[in-house]
Amino acid sequence: MSATVDDDRLDETFAALANSTRRAILSRLVQGEANVNELAEPFDLTLPAISKHLKVLEHAGLIVRGRHAQYRPCSLDATRLREVSTWAEQYRPVWEARFDRMDDYIMQLQPPRKTGKRNG
Amino acid sequence: MDDDYDLDNAVVIERTFDAPVELIWQMWTDPAHFAGWYGPPGASIPVANMDVRVGGTRLVCMVVETPNGTMRMWFTGEYREVVTNKRLVYTDSMSDEHGNVVSPSEMGMPDGHLTTTEVIVELAEIDGRTTMVMTHVGIPAGSPGAMGWTMAFDKLAAHLVTHTA
Repeated sequence: MSATVDDDRLDETFAALANSTRRAILSRLVQGEANVNELAEPFDLTLPAISKHLKVLEHAGLIVRGRHAQYRPCSLDATRLREVSTWAEQYRPVWEARFDRMDDYIMQLQPPRKTGKRNG
Repeated sequence: MDDDYDLDNAVVIERTFDAPVELIWQMWTDPAHFAGWYGPPGASIPVANMDVRVGGTRLVCMVVETPNGTMRMWFTGEYREVVTNKRLVYTDSMSDEHGNVVSPSEMGMPDGHLTTTEVIVELAEIDGRTTMVMTHVGIPAGSPGAMGWTMAFDKLAAHLVTHTA
């Protein structure tokens, strides 16, 4: 396996991104760090609801949060996002799965043959 | 062709199948065989119209069962190169059931998403086995190389719409 991006991590990242509020939060953080109150402003959501979204993003490694207990500014951690933002990395697992199916399908069509000829 | 490929932004996958090249060619060009493998596990391909000649069109329907119900998606495209048992090139876009290309914004995605991509299949038979190189390239809709944040998010959204399971 020489995949540069681990599949489980990809799943986690995509799951975190599968929400418009969380994507909007990330878009806001592109402009610079912000605290929970600032992030909550554009949304019709309670602070606990926003905090929940931030936890998901933080767990997925998409954002980092400051250490100060009261004011914990959030900022973007672009590393993970870059991994999934190239078009190719999104489609590779899709095609790999398709070709696995193709392999299985071919096996059904024609039973595996004896592979005798192999002369290095 | 004035297509401007960004090969950094392409998926290239090489596979070897224990099957003759004719069969692998049919995997891509015979609707019955195509339906046997295309799409994510559990998907079905109820429609695969393939007019496999240069300039011919294709229309594929993929049905995917998701926790939110049945998703029916249509894809269309045009064959650009057809060299039997050797090389197949076709475009791929989301569409409606009549093959009208649906822009990403019409699908509820923000602008900037790639509307059309191109699939290149190259086959070679060696010792009764077939090596297949599949290249899937994006054809940039707007400014080439504009891999901004917005675009990254659009692509993610497209991926999620297409492949949420």
